[in-house]
Amino acid sequence: MKTAKTISFIKKHYFEISLALPLFLYLVLFTYAPVMQVIAMSFDKSGSRPGFVFGFHHYHLIFGHFQFAKAFFNTVFIAVCGLFLELALGLYVAVQLNKRIKFRGMIRSLYILPLGIPTIVAAANMRYIFDTNGFLNSLLMKLNMITLPVDWGGGGFVTLFAVVVADMWKVTPLVMLVLLAGLQNIPEDVYEAARMDGAGPWQTFRHITLPLLKPSITMAVVIRGIDSFRIFELPLVLAGKAEPVLGTFVYAEYHEALNPYTSAAASVILLLLILFCVAAYLSLTGTKDVSYP
Amino acid sequence: MLKLKRAGKGDAVRIFRFMPRMLLILPAVLMAFGCGEKKPKQPVLKVSFSLTESEWDVFRKKVIPPFEEKHGCKIEAVQIDAADLPKLLLLGKRAGESKVDLFAQDNMELAVLVKNGLVEDMSDLVRQYRNVVYPSLLEIGRFADAYYFIPFRTNVQIFYYNKAVFDRYGLSPPRSWDEWLKIAEFFYEKEKVGRILITGVGGNPTVTQMYEYIVAAGGDPFVFNDGGTKKTFLFFQRLWKAASPDSRKAKWDTSNDYFARDSVYLMQNWTFGYKIITEQYGKQDVEVYHGFPGPVREAHVIGGDVFGIPAGSQNKVLALNFIEYMLSRDVQAVFVKDLAWPSVRSDAYNDASSGPAFKAIQDALHYGVFRKNVPYWSEYQKLFEEAFLRIVVNGESIDILESLQTRMKHITQKHPS
Amino acid sequence: MKTNRILPAIFLYGSLGLILLFTCIPIYLMVKIAFADPGAFMNDQAFEFTFEHLKAVFLSGNLWPALRKSFTVACATAFLSTLIAAPGAYVLAKIPGRTGYFFLMAIFFTRMFPEVGIALPISLNVARLGLFDTDAGLVLAHLIRVLPLVAWVLIGTFKSLPKDIEEAGRMDGCSKAQVLWRIVLPVARPGIMVGLIFGFLNSWDEFIYAAYLSLMNKTLPLTVFYYVNRGGWFLSSMYALIVTIPVLFFTYFFQRYLQSGYLSGAVKG
Repeated sequence: MKTAKTISFIKKHYFEISLALPLFLYLVLFTYAPVMQVIAMSFDKSGSRPGFVFGFHHYHLIFGHFQFAKAFFNTVFIAVCGLFLELALGLYVAVQLNKRIKFRGMIRSLYILPLGIPTIVAAANMRYIFDTNGFLNSLLMKLNMITLPVDWGGGGFVTLFAVVVADMWKVTPLVMLVLLAGLQNIPEDVYEAARMDGAGPWQTFRHITLPLLKPSITMAVVIRGIDSFRIFELPLVLAGKAEPVLGTFVYAEYHEALNPYTSAAASVILLLLILFCVAAYLSLTGTKDVSYP
Repeated sequence: MLKLKRAGKGDAVRIFRFMPRMLLILPAVLMAFGCGEKKPKQPVLKVSFSLTESEWDVFRKKVIPPFEEKHGCKIEAVQIDAADLPKLLLLGKRAGESKVDLFAQDNMELAVLVKNGLVEDMSDLVRQYRNVVYPSLLEIGRFADAYYFIPFRTNVQIFYYNKAVFDRYGLSPPRSWDEWLKIAEFFYEKEKVGRILITGVGGNPTVTQMYEYIVAAGGDPFVFNDGGTKKTFLFFQRLWKAASPDSRKAKWDTSNDYFARDSVYLMQNWTFGYKIITEQYGKQDVEVYHGFPGPVREAHVIGGDVFGIPAGSQNKVLALNFIEYMLSRDVQAVFVKDLAWPSVRSDAYNDASSGPAFKAIQDALHYGVFRKNVPYWSEYQKLFEEAFLRIVVNGESIDILESLQTRMKHITQKHPS
Repeated sequence: MKTNRILPAIFLYGSLGLILLFTCIPIYLMVKIAFADPGAFMNDQAFEFTFEHLKAVFLSGNLWPALRKSFTVACATAFLSTLIAAPGAYVLAKIPGRTGYFFLMAIFFTRMFPEVGIALPISLNVARLGLFDTDAGLVLAHLIRVLPLVAWVLIGTFKSLPKDIEEAGRMDGCSKAQVLWRIVLPVARPGIMVGLIFGFLNSWDEFIYAAYLSLMNKTLPLTVFYYVNRGGWFLSSMYALIVTIPVLFFTYFFQRYLQSGYLSGAVKG
C-alpha cells in the first residue's frame, strides 16, 4: 500500500524530483558523507592500518596537546567578543545610515568596501597595521601613548585583540547591512506613534526599534556566529602559533604534524561547539522557528 | 525581501547581460592560450626549487636562459617548498607519471625520499664529481652504498650586526654565549625593548638554528634530555627574555626586514640576507662575521640544496645535462657573485668578486657540521618545536624534556634504521 | 538651542568619519606598499613611487598560472553551482510546510560544518579520484561551499515570483518544463545573475579548500598567503591588490543587490 503511494507520488512529481535531485545528491555525497567520514576517522583507533577499531585514542591525544585548551578558549573568546562588538558597531552605523543624513550614499559605499576584500587579503593588510613596526605602533608613538612598540603578534590578550579588530573590519559591514535592511522594514508610523506618546529617542530605541529589529539581530547573530567560530585566515596570519584557534589547530595537526586523525578529532569538536552554541542561542532567546521569510 | 524590480533597468543589468557571455568566453580564450603553450616543439624540463624571490630573480635572468638557449629547450621552473616535495613525488609515483623531471631539495629532508623509493640512483654521476665538489658535501647524498642526490649549493648562517648602533654604544659583537646574553640584556636595559633576534617562529627555521647551538654546547640534538641540550634550552630561556619581540615571528625571510628596519641590531641568518639588506633595502653599516663558540665548541650547520631525479623520470638525459650545467664553474660563480651562496666547488671563487660576506662565510664553513639525515625529521621537528615553544617562549621548566625524550623514543622506534 | 543641534551633528559625523578612516586605512596601506620603493620605505624616508613590484610580479612567472587557475575554477564553479542549484531551488521554493522547512534546513545545516573538517576527507577522496592539484578537483570542493549559498539566493528569488504567472502558463497548455523554461527562468534572471556572481566571488576568494587540494598549482589567494608567510611586504601587497581588483569591481556594480536576503541566506527569529 505504502509503496504504491510512493510510486504514484514519484509518477506525479517525477519532473520536480529530477530537478531537485542533483542538488541534494551533491550535498549528501560531498558534504554530509565527508562529515560522517571525518567523524568516523576521529574515532578510528586503528589509524592508517586497514579496518576500523572504535576508540577515543585521538581525542585523548588532542586533549593532552599543550595548545588545545588555548585554541578552544581563544575560539570562544574571539567569537563571543567579536560578535558583540560587531553587533554594537554595526547597529550604530545602521541606525545612523537609516536617518536622512548628508553623504549617506557615499558613506554606505565606502563603509561596505571590506565586504569585497578577500579574507586572506584582509589578513595581509592587517599585518601592516599590527606589525611591531606597523602603522598602529607608529601612530600610538606619535600620540605619545606608548614609548615602546606593542608586540601585537606575540601572544596574549593583544594578539586576540588584533584578531578581533581584523574580524570586525572585515565583517561589521555585513552585520550593518543586515541590520539596516531590518531597520528599513520598520514602518515610519510606529515611530510617529511613539513620538505622540512623548517617548524620548533612547526610549524609542529601547522599546520600539530593538524589539522590532529582533529578527534581523537573530539572523546576524546566527550567521555571523557560525562564521566566527570557523575563523581561520585572520588568526593564521595574525596570531600564528602564539594564539591558535580551533581552525588553525585543525590545519596544523594535518599540515604540520601530518596526523589526519587528530586533525579530524579536533574538527569534530569544533563542529560540536558550533552546534551547541547555535542551539543554546536559539533556545535562550526563545526562537522556536528558524525559517525563511 | 529581494529587490527584483530594481533590476529592471540600469547599468547593472547591462553588465548582467554581458557578464555570462564574458564569463563563458574568457576561460575559452585562456584555455586556447593554455593549449597553445602546451604544444611547444622544443623539449620541456620541469624543475622544482625552493627559493626566495630575490633568488628566483637571478635564476630567471641569469641562470636559466643560457641553458635554454644552448640546449634548445624550455625550462619550467616551479617553487615547491621542502615540506611539500615528498607529497608531490608520492603523487607522481601513484599516478605513474612524475610531476617534475628534476627537483632541488633541502639537504635535511632526503631520507624520507629514499625510504619511499621516490628517487633514482645517481651514483654514476656523483663519481664524476669526486674531484670537483667538496667530498664531504657529496656524502650528504649517500644512503647505504648508493648516491641518490648531488649538492649544487651550500649554505651556512652568519651573524649580522648593525655597526652604527654597536659603535654608538661602544660595543663589539659577541664572542661567546655569555657576551651574547650580556649584549642582549644591555640593549634591553638601554632601549627597554629587546634588540637581538632569535629565529623563534618554530618549524624548520627554529630547529635548524637550535641544532647548531646544541652541538656547540656539546649535546646531541636528537636526545632531548642530555646535558648539552638541557644547557642550551636553559640558556635560550634566559636569552629570550632579553630578545626582540619580533623573534616570535622571525624566520629567514622576515629577519632581513626586521634588521633593515632597525628593529633588531644583531641576528643570525643564511648568507642570502646580505644581498637583500645591503642592496635591495639599501641598508648601510651592516657587518657580518661567522659567529662564536658555544660552551664546548663552535659549530655551524651546513645547509643547502641537492638535486635529485624522481623515480621513473621520462626526461633523464636533459635533467642530467641541467645538473652538469648548474655545477659548472661559470654558474657556481654566478651563485657566489649574485646570491652570496657559498659554492660547492672550490675553484668557483677564483675569479668571482667575493665581497665582505665572503670571509664570514668561509670562517663559518670552517666550523661546519652536517645534520644527521633521519627519516623522522618532520616528526622530530614537530616535537622540537613544542619543546622550544614551551620552554623558551612560555618559560616552562626544562623538566618537560624528560617526557619529550620518551615521546622521541617512540618516534625512533617506529623507524628502524 | 543651537548648540543642542550642533554637538550631536559633530559627534555623528566625527564618529562616522573615524569609522570610515578605520575602514579605509588598511586598503590605503595595501595600495601604498604595493607601489612603494623598498629602500625608502624600509629606512622610514618619504614615500617614493615605483612600478618595481608590479614588474617583478608580472615577470616572475608565478602570476599567470595562479591567475588562470583561480579564474577557470571560479567561472566553472559559478556555472555549475547555478546549473545545479537553480532547478533545485525552483522546486524547494514550491514545497510548503514542514517538508519544505526540512529541506531548507538540510541546506542551511551545511554552513555549520567547519570547512577545515570537510576539506580533510575531501582532499583524501579527491586524491583517490586522481584529481588532486587539478582544476576539476578544486571545482568539486568549491561547489560544497558555493552550492548552499547560491541555492539560498535562488530560493528567495523563486519564492518572490508571483504564483499566478505559472498558473497562467499551465492554463495555456504549457508543460511543466515549458513553464519553467519559458516563463519562470526569464523572470528570475536577475536572481540567477546574482547567483552566478556570488558563485564566482566565493570561489575566487576561497582559501581553505585550495590549501588542502593544491600543491604545485596554487590559486591566487594561496599565492598571497605564500608571500605573506615569506614575510615580504611588497610582493604580498601587490598580489593582494591583484586578487582584490576584480572583486572590488564586481562589488561596486553589484552594490544595490547586496541586500540582506542575498547576503547570508535569511534566517528569521
